[in-house]
Parts: sequence; structure tokens; C-alpha cells
Amino acid sequence: MFRESKNVPPETGEDAPITAAAMEAVFADCYDYESRELHIGGREANRVRLCFIDGLVSGSDVAEQIIKPLTDPGRFGGEAVGSRAISMMLGGSVYVYTAKSRKALGEAVTDLLNGFCALIFDAERTAVTFEVKSQQRRSVDAPKEEKVVKGAKDAFVETMKVNTTLVRRKLRNPHLKIKEFSLGERAKTAVTLVYIDGFTNAGIVAEAARRVSRIEAEGVLTSSVIEENIVDNYRSPFPQVISTERADKFCMNLLEGRVGILADGLPLGFLVPGTFSQFMKVPEDHSAHYLVSSALTLLRYASVALTLLAPAFYVAVAMYHQEMIPTRLMQSMIDARASVPFPTAMEVIMMLLAFELLQEAGIRLPSPIGETVSIIGALIVGQSAVEASVVSPVVVVVIALAGIAGYTMPNQDMGSALRLCRFFLVLAAIALGMFGVATGCGLLIYHLASLESYGVPYMTPFAGAEGRHLGRALLRRPMTVKRDREPELKTGSGGEARL
Amino acid sequence: MKRAVLALTALGLALGLVSCSGMTILSNYRRLENIELVRTITADAAPEGVTVSICGAAGKESGPRQYECSGPSMGVALGELMLMPLGRDAILSHAESLLVGEELAKTGMDQCLDYMERFSETRLDTGVLIVRGGRALDLAAGLTGKETPAPDVIAGLGKNISRMGEGYFFTCREIASSLAQNGCALVQCVKGEEGEKLFEERGELDIRPAGFAVLGTEGGPAYLTEEETLGTLVLLNKFRSKNMDLEVEGTVLTVSVDRAEAGFEPVFEDGALAGIDIALKLEANVICLTGDGALTDALYRKSAEEALSRRILAAVNAALRRSRQLGADFLDLEGVVRRRAPLKMERSGESWAEVFPRLALNVRAESTLLRTFDIVDPPDVAGEEENRSPWEKLIESLNGS
Repeated sequence: MFRESKNVPPETGEDAPITAAAMEAVFADCYDYESRELHIGGREANRVRLCFIDGLVSGSDVAEQIIKPLTDPGRFGGEAVGSRAISMMLGGSVYVYTAKSRKALGEAVTDLLNGFCALIFDAERTAVTFEVKSQQRRSVDAPKEEKVVKGAKDAFVETMKVNTTLVRRKLRNPHLKIKEFSLGERAKTAVTLVYIDGFTNAGIVAEAARRVSRIEAEGVLTSSVIEENIVDNYRSPFPQVISTERADKFCMNLLEGRVGILADGLPLGFLVPGTFSQFMKVPEDHSAHYLVSSALTLLRYASVALTLLAPAFYVAVAMYHQEMIPTRLMQSMIDARASVPFPTAMEVIMMLLAFELLQEAGIRLPSPIGETVSIIGALIVGQSAVEASVVSPVVVVVIALAGIAGYTMPNQDMGSALRLCRFFLVLAAIALGMFGVATGCGLLIYHLASLESYGVPYMTPFAGAEGRHLGRALLRRPMTVKRDREPELKTGSGGEARL
Repeated sequence: MKRAVLALTALGLALGLVSCSGMTILSNYRRLENIELVRTITADAAPEGVTVSICGAAGKESGPRQYECSGPSMGVALGELMLMPLGRDAILSHAESLLVGEELAKTGMDQCLDYMERFSETRLDTGVLIVRGGRALDLAAGLTGKETPAPDVIAGLGKNISRMGEGYFFTCREIASSLAQNGCALVQCVKGEEGEKLFEERGELDIRPAGFAVLGTEGGPAYLTEEETLGTLVLLNKFRSKNMDLEVEGTVLTVSVDRAEAGFEPVFEDGALAGIDIALKLEANVICLTGDGALTDALYRKSAEEALSRRILAAVNAALRRSRQLGADFLDLEGVVRRRAPLKMERSGESWAEVFPRLALNVRAESTLLRTFDIVDPPDVAGEEENRSPWEKLIESLNGS
């Protein structure tokens, strides 16, 4: 039988004084919260409370670097009590490289949650916190999503410190600044802003800092919490933040004058401003021969047109503008369609949906099964559908072509946006034929041209820039030729971004 | 904002429903499988006015199809044909050829061309052919075999006619343009012949070129002879190649004429156009020699070249004579002169009709026999001494010493 406590509960606000009882109250019902009493210098009268979160700290480090020297009578003698002991600890009598003196309960709690342990001095209303983070973390590995053929194979992991180290190792420059923010009302996730001071446009840095600091969320556990909060137009399906798991790509963009954002717990780096042409590039462009890279970049742009327009163009031509089809092809199409019971519109929409279903199933299922599903879907179901006259072979070819062209997108977010637009264009083509396709394309171009990312036109250098910079987006110059900086990023001294 | 989202959602749903139900917004929606692909149209004179027929392409399961209908005009007859018997949507946008019967060509060529040029579906690059000595409908039916549709046979002739040097498929655009500029135009004529039925799937008839017809002359089209057609092809620079038999020093030399280009130079005297110098450049290769001819002999070759020049000159002169005789500038000489000397022509102030009959047309030809294909005895090329390699000269000097 429980009895209601007559004691007054300790104050647990952010600025409340630090006491062992207050800390216990904050972490009440926390299975992983541990605390124990220590005797400084081995003297029972000199009591102090050690608190930490089990799992976040390294037990051996706590024992070796804190408990052992703290209880050593030779080190902490009779007079080493209270403020004297605190002063000794901060002065290096405890072998931990980071030690902080905390007066407010909120600060101490945050430290505990970040892998510190705290020694609480009730009488002084003070805690000394030591960084003794656990080393249990995923090791740096090759990127999983962004395949590397010829380049660095270190990808970001979930630990912020590891990620900042990866960046720091590639950019050994004191001007590389890493500004920290704590985000999330409850999760208190550490988010850092990475930029090269004096090189990256100060306006973009300030704006990125403003947007990151005003993120209101319970926690930063998914990438969209950051992405949707820092973009200019979150309603647009087109990505405006470059996200990458590759440290080399992250650093390359920092060197071009972009601002990077890293979040603890996310194995990704985010970069702003994001422009359309940037989503068409891959780091391999800088590894391969410049002619090959240029050809591949052009191919990617052609793929954009193909993945967007192929189904819509087919629908428009097959339903309304048959005169555009060459005679032999037209005859083949008529023959192929003769036994298909569904109208062309329904046939194409069905195939597009089936393609999306297969893709979704392939992604969600574990890798070996996912691949099997894709193969079964593409080969067996597709072949059977054609043989059963449910769809015509031409439609299968068109949809497959559009799908494959979509897979050439270096950025999956861009690929997804294009897939969405493909549906929109197909519907427009079904309703209005080529007029619909033209109208749809017009609206799409209007939307893209009206987007801005941190004051930089999204379609630059195709729109909102001088024509002479067009080649930079489409072609790569040899490394021996001096590279121009991207003028729209306004890097270096002078010039503020239009915000 | 909510309103905009609602409106967009409603629009999307409406579009999806409308389109998936087949009730599309545009009026020219045609189901692909219901389309009858028309590749050849025929038009003939009939008691009611015009009889038209359309020849569809052969499908995978159905054989070649031909449908006919009569009406007071070509437009009415075709309109009825597309509505009436098919149960399918006939589209004329893929029509490659229009065959017009000789009878209709006399009186109703205008309405055929008018229809082809004004109807929104038909293409201006449709070839127009006049069927000599018969009805276009019968020719198309005769060409149609079990599996070979008439349009395929006609398309085959279209591809080869220029290579054979026997004509050229003029399109609606070219005919209309020529009629507008010169008041006359050329049209290719064809005829049906009972030929060897090499393949079971071929039709009973074979199609053969039958020279050019000149539209825009009084009393219906005027038909050119084979020689005049050849001359016309050369003067229009539409000649590609032709095999010819030449009589050279008692032998028959068969050559393939692979190049025949005509260059025009207007001659002005006292500010008035006095004549046109026409220079022909001919190139040919020997294919076959019947008799004892010395192919490698320079004199024999020169005789052969002269024979070729004479042959082509005769054809060209015949075409020029016929043009003057008909009073129809179907060779577009006026256009050529105006392009070569526009200011001088402008200043002369004379009309072409006045100038053309009295123009001095000086035609000269320059022929070259390029290859004799005589491996055993190669030709004695001029300047052989200079062309020999130092190695050859060394061997010869050693042999001599």
C-alpha cells in the first residue's frame, strides 16, 4: 500500500538549483539512469553524488578516470571538500579532458543526455560534469545509397562527432566553422552548421542559422524535419536541400560556397542552397574524364525529359495525334492494341501504378527478396500481361523506358518529384493531348523558375543567370582549366546574397 | 489556401475520371485499335461525279483492305466513305499517294488537288500520280495481293523510280507551288501492266512509270514522251541514275549515268534577256560492252562520251521544244533566270510569256566516262608517267638497264 509523501517535491525547472534529489526527480522512472554516492578522498564525511545515463557513458572511463582519482586520499586530502574539491576537479585532478561546472539543473540534465556524467555537490548547489561518452557507435563505412566507383568511401554515420571529424579531416582549415544548435523541445538533438568563414556568403550563413534555430519540433529524428523547415518553398515536390551521405560530396559543396548542416543521429549531411543543376551532378563527375563526365551529364538531362514526357507524349499521340506517328510504327501499334480491352488512358495509368507498386515493394522488402520481386514483376508479370492482352507491348516499353530514365537521377528526391510530375503530365495529356502536355510543361517550368533557394534562383544557370554560365551546368571543364566559382553563390569577400 | 487545395484536388479528380472513362475533352479522340490507316487514295470519274477508294495497310491478322464510294465530289465521296461502311475511323494523315484516273485528270484534277491541300488531315507531301489508260481504282485493286497491299507496291515504285531515271513522284506541295508560280505543273504518270507474278502474295498487276503529265495546259493534261521525261528530269536536276545503251563504233555500250547536272546562265543583250546557256555535266560508268570495243582506248572512250552527250542533249532539247510548244514553263526556266539575275530581269520589264518563245537556248554537254571496270587491261590514264611512284620508276629503270 502506497502512502502519499508529505515531503515537498524538489524544484525541477531549467534554472532550478542542482541537487541530487532534483536530479533524481527529473530522471524518475528512467531505467537507464544510474546514481551512486562517492566519498571524496575516501572520507565518509565528504559525500558527493555521481549520476550518469547507463549506455551513454563508458563505464570503464568513469571508473578509471573519475572514481579512481576522486576517491584517492593522496589526491583529495582532508581539506578537499566542497568548493575546494570542485576547483581541484576543474583544475585537472580528475583525468577527463572535458569538465564543466554547472549551476542550473537544465544544463546538467542536458550534459547527462549528451554522454556526460555529473558529480553533484548538494551543499554548493553545483554539479561538475565530465564527458565520458560511450564509444559504442557504427563505424565509418562505404556509402550505401550513393555508390562510389572512383572516390572516397567514407560515409557519414549517426554520430555527430564522427561526421564533423570526417569533414575536418578533408578540410584542414581553421576557417571551417562548425556552429552548434540544440533542436527539439524534447529530443534536444545537436545540429551543426558547417561553413567556411570568409568564403561562404555571410548572408546565406546567417539565413541558414536563422532557419535552423527556429525549427520547432519535438525532435530531429528524420531528415524531413530539417529539410522542410529550412527550404524556401516546402510545398514544392522538388528538393531544395542537397542531402548526401558522402563526406567528399559534402566537402566539395562546402568548397563551392554552400552551407552544410549535420544532425546528430542522422547519417546524412544537408547542403544549401540547392539548385536544379546541382541535383544533376554526382561526385564521380570530378573523377571521370571531363568529356565522359560532360556526356553523362547531358545524358542525365535527356533522362529528365524522357522520364517526364515519354508516357505523356505516348498518351497524347496515341489518343489524339495519330498523324504524328510514322506509318509503320502506327500499324504496329494498331495491331498491338487490337486485342487490348482497356482504353489507352487506363492502360497507361494502370502500368504507371503497377510500376510504382513494384518499385515500392522492391524498396520496402529486404534486399534479396526485393530484387526477386522486381525481377518477377518486370519479367514475368510484364510478359504475362502482354501475352494476356491486358496491356500492349508499346505501353510496356514506354513505361519501362520512362522508369529506367528516372533511375539515372543522382538524387532520389529529384527522381520522386519527377515521378509525381509524370503522373500530372499524363493526366493532362489524357485530357487535352499535346495541348495538355504543353500546358503541363509550361506550368512545370513556371513553377521551377519561380523557386528560389536562399536567394539563389532554383533554375540557375538556366534562368536568372547569364547565358555564358550555361555550359557550367551541362559540361565539365578539364581540371587544368581554372574553374570559375558559381557567381550566384556570391562567395568570397564582398556581396551579400539577395535574401 | 484550403480553397486552392480543394480546387486542385477536384480538378485532378475530374481529369482522372473524365480521362479514364474515355470521355476526353478534346474532340479528335480516336481509339487506336479502331483506326483504319489509309495509305493510298484513288479518284476516278464516275456518272455521279467521282468514285474514290481508300487502301488501308495490311494488318497482322487482316489482309489488305480497299473500300470505295461515289459522290458528286471527291470531298463528299471521301466523307461518306469515312462515315459509312467501315465501322472504323479512317484517317488520311498517313496517305502516301493519290492515284487519279486519266478520265478524271482531264476535268477534275483541280478538285483532287484542292481537297488534298485544304483538308486538315491530308499531308502536302502526298505523291500524286495519274493512271494512264485506265481507272485508278482498278489499278489499286490489281496491285493488291493476298498479303501485299497496293500502297506497298506504289511506295516501292516511289523509292526506285528516281534510281531508274524514269520519273519522279511530285508531291501535292510541289504541284501546288509550280501551278501558283508557273501556271503549270508536272505530275508523274503510271500504268498497270500484267507482269510476272514472282510472288504468290503479289497482285495481278504491276505498276510501271509512264512519263510525266503537264497540268495547266488547255484541254487537260499534256503527256510527255519517255525522252522528254528524261530531258525534263535532267533540266530539273532531279535525275539520279539511269542505265543507257549507246552505240559506239559499231558496238553497244551499256553505261550507268550516275550524274547529270544542269547549270543555267542567262544571257542579256542590251538589257533584255536574249537566251540561256545550259551546261550539262554528265558522269557515267561502263556496265557492259557488247561487241569488240576497245574500252581502254582513249579514242573509243571519247566516242562513248560523245554518244552519251548526244543522247542526253537530244532528250533535253526535246523537253525544251515541248515546253515551248505547250507554252508552259514546266521546266521553271523563269524561276531559274529570276534567281540567277533578279535585278536584270526586273529592269528588262518584259513578261516571260513574251520572252520565252524567242529565247536562244544553247545547250552543251560535257560527259565523262569514269570507270570501265576492265581489270585485265586498265585504262591508259593521261599523265601516267607523273603518277607513277618512285618505286615503280626504279624497277623500270633496273629492268631497262
